[in-house]
Amino acid sequence: MPARLTSWFFSMIEPNLDLLVPAYVREFEPYIPSKPDPELQKLYGCGHLYRLNNNENPLGPPPGAQDVIRRFPPPRGAVYPSGDSYYLRREIAACHGIDPDQILVGNGANEVIAFVIKAFCSQGDNIITADKTFAVYEWVAVFSGIEVRVIPLKEERFDDRAMLNSIDAATKVIFLCNPNNPTGTYWSRDTLRAFLDEVGARQIVVVDEAYFEFVETEDYPDGMSLLSDYPNLIVFRTFSKMYGIAGLRIGYLAGDLKVVDMIRRTCVVYSVNGIAQEAALACLRDETGHIRRTRELVRESKAFLSEEMTAMGLPVIAGEGNYLIVKLPGSDTLAYRKLMHEGIMIRPMTIFRYPNHIRVTMARMEAMEAFVAALKKILA
Amino acid sequence: MTHDNDRIVSLQLTSRISFLSVATHCVETAAKAFGLGREESLKLSLATEEIFSYLCSHVCRGEILDIRCVNGFSYVRVEFRFSVSVLDMGSLNIAASVDCENEDDMTEMGLAIASRTIDRLNIIAERQNRICLAIEKDKDYPPAPETSIAPVDLTGTLMVETPETEGVKGYVTLVAQGSPDPLRPPFFSYPGKVADMVAAGECQVVTVVDAKGECAGGVLFRFWTARIVEMFGPHVFNQSREGEIAAMLLDTCIARTVRTKAIGLVNLTGMPPSIESQFELLGLLNHYPQDGEAAHRHAFYRLLHEDPGCQIFTEGTLKGYLQGEYERLFLAREIREVRDQGEMKAGASIFSTEVRREWSQAILNPLWPGDDLDANLKRHLHFLEEERINNIFFYLDLGASWQAALMTVLITNHFRTAFIIPFAGQADLLVFQYDRTES
Repeated sequence: MPARLTSWFFSMIEPNLDLLVPAYVREFEPYIPSKPDPELQKLYGCGHLYRLNNNENPLGPPPGAQDVIRRFPPPRGAVYPSGDSYYLRREIAACHGIDPDQILVGNGANEVIAFVIKAFCSQGDNIITADKTFAVYEWVAVFSGIEVRVIPLKEERFDDRAMLNSIDAATKVIFLCNPNNPTGTYWSRDTLRAFLDEVGARQIVVVDEAYFEFVETEDYPDGMSLLSDYPNLIVFRTFSKMYGIAGLRIGYLAGDLKVVDMIRRTCVVYSVNGIAQEAALACLRDETGHIRRTRELVRESKAFLSEEMTAMGLPVIAGEGNYLIVKLPGSDTLAYRKLMHEGIMIRPMTIFRYPNHIRVTMARMEAMEAFVAALKKILA
Repeated sequence: MTHDNDRIVSLQLTSRISFLSVATHCVETAAKAFGLGREESLKLSLATEEIFSYLCSHVCRGEILDIRCVNGFSYVRVEFRFSVSVLDMGSLNIAASVDCENEDDMTEMGLAIASRTIDRLNIIAERQNRICLAIEKDKDYPPAPETSIAPVDLTGTLMVETPETEGVKGYVTLVAQGSPDPLRPPFFSYPGKVADMVAAGECQVVTVVDAKGECAGGVLFRFWTARIVEMFGPHVFNQSREGEIAAMLLDTCIARTVRTKAIGLVNLTGMPPSIESQFELLGLLNHYPQDGEAAHRHAFYRLLHEDPGCQIFTEGTLKGYLQGEYERLFLAREIREVRDQGEMKAGASIFSTEVRREWSQAILNPLWPGDDLDANLKRHLHFLEEERINNIFFYLDLGASWQAALMTVLITNHFRTAFIIPFAGQADLLVFQYDRTES
């Protein structure tokens, strides 16, 4: 008799999940992360896998952070880390000329998204974001029972006017991704200031700057520098992208003292491990030119890939950040599977509401060339 | 929009024949209160009488029975929930009382006869040893006017909109007035019905309109299983801008579903050629109407997410077919072969049967294994042929290892593999269609 049916038939009484679990949780489809690389390689029958799906830094962490990871004393594994990332907050604050208490560090920037929504939203409230942007703002709100207003991008950019028009009395937080993942578009300093001026202090405005360190253009705003002018502004940063410690999970938010004091109430202390805190400190203190080297790699790869895609007749959306989007003639999720068989992992963009588009992370030339060859093969 | 509580009438009673009139009166009264016509309410009450009597005598005598009447707006659904023991299970087959040996003397009782007076009947295994037996009766709606209309002339920029009731009815009327299509779902003939389906949250409709508000096209989509959304259309009413309109509708359908529980989008009833390249061809579906010629249509699919891969089970007979299909579809699957090694298979199997009379269609799903798979299947086929159901499908969940034992049984009873629908079950669903030419 099949085990599942046997348990269905003869099992002890199960909890009534229909009654116990709120409908907005029951109805939420949990995100299924990719399997570990060895499992994927087994499933797809590929001997090697180029990871071009998560916007990781192919150069890894700066040398100082690598040293921290290598030399972490095993006995320290038994000791709790600083519960509120004490030294790291001081270092970040010093970098930006703000108070350490204006900073909250989380287990990746994803965790600080949850802190903010928990702090400001309750049932009946809403948040505003774009339709084609990082999905986690939307997910956290949905499984917390909060309404999400997703505003369509306009010419691949956040539509400031439409977002402002969507605000009502129940709007608590507006999430902007600057530069936007996946389009790489950004609001200039003037646009962001004008938006913040118009919002006033009625809502919290979050500017997610996960890809801040990749942007070199003059008019790109540094959200940190605006904190003193806009107490309702919160800025997110991460160590996962430019600093290459995605595997350690660490990111942070910064904002006005009183606002951060409120968010701190929803923050789980001790969620950031000790190696991550020390490696992040080393990232901030890097003087070896890690950012410059990464930017050079991204520039070279992006130019190469843009040229190759254009030559293949495939439209490209290439803005800021260490990624670009390619439009395919057919299904992106099918292309994902075909490319996996070739040992290339990209991000299909249907989940970002860009059907038939894929996002490709900029990597070393060897990986870029392998991707181009595989794409030519599957589209032939 | 009506509050959910206003759409349900519940009754709990002991399954004893002395309570028969309580059950039938409750269902009939609730059906009328939910807007079902007098004749339809009576038919639902008659089916309730058959089912209640059957449950009292064969299935859960003296046990607690929950009866729930649900206002589906376009139909009324009656659900009978009860706990069962293994011994009673065989009686839950719709064809339990059918005698295969004597073709002229099919016993007319129980679920079989109840199924004749209603539009749909289904049995669902739920948590906590509970069974839900559900019957549905549709409301009567006037059909769309038959007048054929001139092609829509479009003006200016096109826009996607979520139509109000009149917009939904207008879209459905345009679909109904298009070329005849045997595979078009029957609800597309009744604009009011679709408006009620949308109001009940059973489906969504999106349309494209021009600057003057003229409907240029539309699409209807709804959850088909827990993780699969079925899309009807897009229907385009202006051929010169077909590509543009179809793409707008498809993009909107995807945008509305991609961040829900849906993992895939399926289309079994046809779509404009301009967007076929965005889908993957699953296979061919045959439809045999009550009268007229057979129709054939391609089944299309697209995953909305990355394929996480999964494990599926098969008998040796279909291993080659599955390997070939998964290779063709580039789906990563670990295929595990299941063999009969003499283990015990005691008891009666159960198949759930969803009879959709309006489409002359029945869908069988295995709910419970047993040692009588072949005999049970034959009883069902006999019953469905007697009922003049022309389109018989059997859905096997490839993620449930015990269901693999049905593969040979199905093939020897003239079922043919139609296609695989990824993630439509615990894992993928393998759809078999009964081959009428071989029976």
